[in-house]
Amino acid sequence: MNCDAVTLEIIRGAARAAQAEMEALLERTAMSAFIREKKDFYTALFDAEGAMAVGSDLPIFGDIVGPVAKQFPLETMRPGDLYWYNDCYGSRGAVSHSNDQVFLAPVFLGDVRVGFVMGWAHFSDIGGLHPGSLSPHASDHFQEGIIIPPVRLQRGGETNEDLLRAFWRNSRFPGQSQGDTRALMAAVRLGERRVEEMAARFGPAVLGDAFAQLLARTEAVVRAKMRAAFPVGTTSFNDAIDSDGHGNGPFVLRLKLTRTADDRFILDATATDDQAPGPVNLLMHPDVPGMALGLYFLQDEAGQVLNAGGPRAIDEVLLREGSLLWPRAPAPLGLRGITMMRLLAALHGLVAVARGGNAPAAHSAYVILALRGEHAGKRFLMTDGVGVGYGARPFADGTDAVYFVAQENYPAEFLELGYPVRIRAYGMHLNSGGAGQFRGGCGVVREYEVLAEEARLAVRIDSVVNPPWGVAGGMNGGSGRCVVNPGTAGEQVLPALSDGTVLKRGDIVRLETGGGGGWGHPYDRDAALVLADVQGGFISAEAAARDYGVVLAAGALDVATTEAQRATRPRVGLFHRRGYADHVA
Amino acid sequence: MSRDLLVAVDIGGTFTDITLQDAQTGEAWTAKTPSTPRDPSEAFITGVTLALQQAGREAAQVGRVLHGTTVATNLILEGKTAPTALLTTQGFRHLLEIGRADLPRRDNLWAWVKPKRPVPPGWVHEVAGRITADGSELAPLDEAAVRAAALRAVVAGAKAIAICFLHSFTNPAHERRALALVREVAPGLAATASCDVLPVVREYERSMATVLNAAVMPAVTTYVQRLETRLAEAGVAAPLLLMKSNGGVAGAAAIRQAPAQTALSGPAAGVVGAVAMARAAGVADIITVDIGGTSADICCIAGGHIGLTQTGRVGPWPLPLPMVDMVTIGAGGGSIARVQGGALTVGPQSAGAEPGPACYARGGVEPTVTDAHLVLGHLPPSLLGGRMALDPALAEAAVRRVAEPLGLSVEAAARGILAIADNNMVGAIRVVSVERGHDPRGFALVPFGGAGPLHGCAIAALLGMRRVLVPPSPGVLCAQGLLAADLKAEFSRTVALPLAEADPARLDAAFLALESEAAAWFAAEAVPVADQAMRRVALMRYAEQGHELAVPLSAALAEDFAAAHQALYGFALPGVAMEVVTLRLEAVGRLPAPAMPLPGQGNAAAALLGHQRIRLPEGEAEAPIYQRALLGAGTRLNGPAILVQLDATTLVAPGWNAEVLPSGALLLSC
Repeated sequence: MNCDAVTLEIIRGAARAAQAEMEALLERTAMSAFIREKKDFYTALFDAEGAMAVGSDLPIFGDIVGPVAKQFPLETMRPGDLYWYNDCYGSRGAVSHSNDQVFLAPVFLGDVRVGFVMGWAHFSDIGGLHPGSLSPHASDHFQEGIIIPPVRLQRGGETNEDLLRAFWRNSRFPGQSQGDTRALMAAVRLGERRVEEMAARFGPAVLGDAFAQLLARTEAVVRAKMRAAFPVGTTSFNDAIDSDGHGNGPFVLRLKLTRTADDRFILDATATDDQAPGPVNLLMHPDVPGMALGLYFLQDEAGQVLNAGGPRAIDEVLLREGSLLWPRAPAPLGLRGITMMRLLAALHGLVAVARGGNAPAAHSAYVILALRGEHAGKRFLMTDGVGVGYGARPFADGTDAVYFVAQENYPAEFLELGYPVRIRAYGMHLNSGGAGQFRGGCGVVREYEVLAEEARLAVRIDSVVNPPWGVAGGMNGGSGRCVVNPGTAGEQVLPALSDGTVLKRGDIVRLETGGGGGWGHPYDRDAALVLADVQGGFISAEAAARDYGVVLAAGALDVATTEAQRATRPRVGLFHRRGYADHVA
Repeated sequence: MSRDLLVAVDIGGTFTDITLQDAQTGEAWTAKTPSTPRDPSEAFITGVTLALQQAGREAAQVGRVLHGTTVATNLILEGKTAPTALLTTQGFRHLLEIGRADLPRRDNLWAWVKPKRPVPPGWVHEVAGRITADGSELAPLDEAAVRAAALRAVVAGAKAIAICFLHSFTNPAHERRALALVREVAPGLAATASCDVLPVVREYERSMATVLNAAVMPAVTTYVQRLETRLAEAGVAAPLLLMKSNGGVAGAAAIRQAPAQTALSGPAAGVVGAVAMARAAGVADIITVDIGGTSADICCIAGGHIGLTQTGRVGPWPLPLPMVDMVTIGAGGGSIARVQGGALTVGPQSAGAEPGPACYARGGVEPTVTDAHLVLGHLPPSLLGGRMALDPALAEAAVRRVAEPLGLSVEAAARGILAIADNNMVGAIRVVSVERGHDPRGFALVPFGGAGPLHGCAIAALLGMRRVLVPPSPGVLCAQGLLAADLKAEFSRTVALPLAEADPARLDAAFLALESEAAAWFAAEAVPVADQAMRRVALMRYAEQGHELAVPLSAALAEDFAAAHQALYGFALPGVAMEVVTLRLEAVGRLPAPAMPLPGQGNAAAALLGHQRIRLPEGEAEAPIYQRALLGAGTRLNGPAILVQLDATTLVAPGWNAEVLPSGALLLSC
């Protein structure tokens, strides 16, 4: 039975509302700060065969249902079942580090399976080498916490409590893990009820057709925009991550997107470097590039949803086993976020090559700083996710100081009330936004004074050696770094991926995060905006003169000198990373 | 001469509504006059004078003037606040720019553009001096830097200056000194310090509240002064009370100091009116949905108690001042239906007051929710008691614009537009309920605003709610709220204590300090002792949580917090440490509530105006149209029926029964 345009919009609205409800419940009932404050959780609805029909606006999901269906054939599923996994290798990258737990319930109307509901959340500690389960030190995936293959947690509503007890026993914070599990289960059950109500209201056939139309619409929009963007032939783009934390690197991602004469799209990443000994490997599900390009191409399409229609717009994804994007088990995966962020930028790089620069510039990978130790007789673990700059776009400056989508920072006042630290500064990282007609977003500076007698520090920064590229004449964004006791005799610049640095009371840790690349020729930026950026502390007067050709005198615009300076425009290239070039890596 | 006349003034985009009520008898009069956006005080005083004439009363008989103002809200939403500078702690000049380093979950990462802050970063001045988390002074205030910054602000053209330093909620000494210096150096600037606006933890949110307060201060001060002058010229000697976001009113002097407290003035008044109306009807658990032209405000009220939130927002900005806990979505009578990518969508774009829906014949051509209602026969041929004719042909033509590309009949498209609009509101109500731990099925729906009662039955049915309570005057419930409101103020202070260290003596001392602030406020508002009430509330959390829950102070705080957590979130955490983050003293100065006007005598036969063709999914039917004012208490009727009145139209859907309650409210049930 066909779903008409009105019912389709009602089902789309109801699905979005169901997601919002699930997310509200999860945020309100989860226990760990990772979920409650950092908001590292997502939801999705699937059709009866397991295709993601309504996803979250996050481009990191692979085929979620497939790994479960392989173990538990769809026809054996019953109402009240709940499935669970975090097995990266076992799911072929549907999840890509073990902290992310996937809970999945089939939805039935009577005996008819009408869909699936997913709840997905990052659990803060599931065992492994260090507190938090993720560390640059990891050299083996088994050091990154307990692995749960696709299992049936509930059968007909009956919970396998033994499974949960075994899981919780593996966490350093079992209470948190317990609370988060309960919250995720409740959220999935709420979503299940909502999909069941939708099926009852409209009938399974109409609901099924609505899901099919949502998938087809997304695929059609993404395919049409891909056709508009990519000419027939092969478009190539390479980019690199700096290091794996074990002294190796850089590692180059090599992407080739081919549009055939009969309009098939083939993404070939087989030339990507070999896998890394350290935990920066991204076990990339073949659906991920389609999700990522889908998110990009849907940005002006308020009426569409990101779903498995994105991946369907790409006919084939070729990967090479043993490479950074398809590592062999048990290569460690914990910090795959670094590679993921670079991959997202590299996909934009393909668009930039195809469209002569009409694409966003590259962004930095979000930064994590963790301080752990003992203070006043108590153990503490402070995990601070820190924002970076995003790439400038053909229509706007890049976003300053954003972590990733919906995740919030900790107020300085709360950190000082709760942990033995003092925040000495929290501001924009000067000159980290790449110069351009549209400026790249700035990273931040966050300066901590250690108040504990002794503490250990872990940091995770990328794009230091290979800063985020600028495009269409825009220049690269600035790099991040972490320095202990800057400006003193004992100044020490830490390796960008490091763990275990010992700090004493009074030590200062200065964290600078990277920015985003710029877009367009910097001389095309309105001089008044450059002046405002200087006055606002985003760029220095020297950088204004050097990069933008904008000269200031006594804090005001020197119009004559600026005009003279700008009369001779430096030649620019398509990309910029420490110099203009047609390629970045 | 007795002074028992109350005047409530509600200024809307198109009209200014005045309600005059005799507090003794409950007798009420209403007047309507075109709004005067350039100087709203003009329509304000014109309307008051008009209403007094209609009632045959004199200005000297007025005992209280109540007003909900959108001046501050509009300035903030339109980015037209006064040029404002901010003094901040050294090292933090970008805290407004950084915010919480997030972007909204539902926004596309690649498309989102960061909204422009109300203070440009070049106008944020760092000042050395540091108070630590325990309130001790680590470095003294750099007074020379404060003076220099104030002078630079003046030279740059600032009209206002906000001061917010780290940890000032624990030790405000630096802020107080800086405020004194600014006033000395730059007496012409509106100046405000965070310790006076809201001394609570979280530097970004507190800074934003302080900035917004300073930035609306010049315009609100001018506006309030103008109202007072005009009232005095008109011979009204009564105090002017303004509605705040917390659902209470405060005197003009208090509002001049804290104008940001009026940011949700209008919607809060509506909720207060709805609660008073429901109480009179004997209903305590309600979900209100106030449907206007462009947006709908949704509020969930359990046990008749209006919850306050300190995580509210105005536009893109957090405003942690205590405000009525509600959400706003972009769905209203003017929401525009379009075909986008093969799908029919409704809102968030709106036809607004101008041109308005197509059927208003003011040049609108795109179909709106109101046009869909007219096509389906839900609306009478004219509104506002016959003063505004509706054009069904224009409505049909507009709806046809979306019907044809979709291959639908005009009727099916109209029904689709309403179904989508209802669905959007239902989704929002569900989220509001889940967030507050309630199941809407146990609540009564209170639809109001001009467009609310057309949607009541449909929304309730989708949510499984069996009861809809329609207020006697759904379109002017804000005015009812103003008349029913008490004086309210909250006094907060962050203490950030582990519960183990929060011994009763320590808390008592902190509350006594807040009570002395409240006493000063009571004195300023001239509240007699007998009408004063105070409630002590602790905002608590489990260690490391990011949100606090409000718990009334008691000897068993731990148990009460655990119980509240269990009720709201479904679990408690035995053995996990608790913290008292902020203390809040809620002060109420009771104002005598006016008597409620009661419904007259009358029955369905007397109120019947005629019949109208209505298009139902099951087919067409002849629906009776009733003049609601002529339906006496106890009248019962069955849907389908249309009830018309000056300010709203109610649709009683097939399968629903209506009963006029003794209070005058209409109870719909199924």
